[in-house]
Amino acid sequence: MFGLKEKAWSPYLAGALIGLLQVPAFIFLGTALGASSSYVTVSVSIAEFVDPGIRALSYAGKYLDGAKNWWQVALVAGIAVGAFLSATLAGTRRSAPSPVWARALGTKSTAARFAMAFLGGFVLLFGARLADGCTSGHGISGIAQLAVSGFIAVAAMFAGGIATAMLLKPVR
Amino acid sequence: MSIIAALSLGLVMGIAFGFLLEKSRVFEPGVIVGQMQMRNFLMLRVFLAAVASGLVVLALGQLTGLIPKLDPKATLYGAQLLGGFLAGVGITLAGACPGTILAQVGVGYRDAIVTLVGGLLGALTFAYLEPTLRPILLTGSPGKLTLHGLLGLPFWPLALGFAAALVGILYAMERWRPWRMELGENADGLLPPTKRAERRAEAAAAVARG
Repeated sequence: MFGLKEKAWSPYLAGALIGLLQVPAFIFLGTALGASSSYVTVSVSIAEFVDPGIRALSYAGKYLDGAKNWWQVALVAGIAVGAFLSATLAGTRRSAPSPVWARALGTKSTAARFAMAFLGGFVLLFGARLADGCTSGHGISGIAQLAVSGFIAVAAMFAGGIATAMLLKPVR
Repeated sequence: MSIIAALSLGLVMGIAFGFLLEKSRVFEPGVIVGQMQMRNFLMLRVFLAAVASGLVVLALGQLTGLIPKLDPKATLYGAQLLGGFLAGVGITLAGACPGTILAQVGVGYRDAIVTLVGGLLGALTFAYLEPTLRPILLTGSPGKLTLHGLLGLPFWPLALGFAAALVGILYAMERWRPWRMELGENADGLLPPTKRAERRAEAAAAVARG
């Protein structure tokens, strides 16, 4: 059940272990798991090379420095490493876009998928920053703290996700 | 905490997080889009399990004094409804959440790099627009509202009760359809057509034959 080479672990077990990560987050940083604000930290840090004035914006400036912000950047970078390790051990590395897109779009065009991925990523992070959190920050962490913001944001996320998915072709 | 310590801790926690996201298969676009079409429930299983264990450890942390203070986010009805809805649209189009994009990059999904670039630009665009949006959507918060705060109860009994309810829901889900049935042959959440879809395809073929 805990085999590192297994393709899949029980979603209940894996999910419960993810929830345990709240303990080091709270003990060492006094905050909960999150992912989306790291996109602000990274993109604003890059933008600062061409637009030094961005630091003066109170929102952008808030995410530029400090242990908490860069802890989250390291966290999401670590996600890529951990997923790479797990997939390498299990033989589940991928390359081409998931076959689900051919079903959902009715075309195997890579260009169509790339355009959709770009738009999706853009809307996803714009929306998550507007809401002040994503599936991690509002979802896993917000609801685990019984935060009203988490319940509202997660309900809205599922509403938006389901409404959009209904416009795609059925995947099964 | 020094920056170096924060980066090291983040990296170690992230590696564990990414490893678990990969093992749970919740990062697969097939799982995420399947969930949003209510045809695959792996995502909900992982999500509710993570919430349930988070509730338990935070309740225990409060009871033992190990985690003296929670860190809930402020409530902003308009921003959370609109932003959440947009994020949901993005979850389906990207087939990912902000965290799982990185898991997709890690396992090698080529389109995930494009999603990542889109995400960085979306976050940057918001950072530039925030001063404009602030008076419309980001002011007038009633504060960091929580259920236990509204009910005037301590956190831990409510959290443990809610966690127990979630475990009950997960148990019922597993009875209804065991999770392994939702993995797909290639562990990517892609499942064979439903009976209904097969009948529909047969009917369409019959019409085509005349």
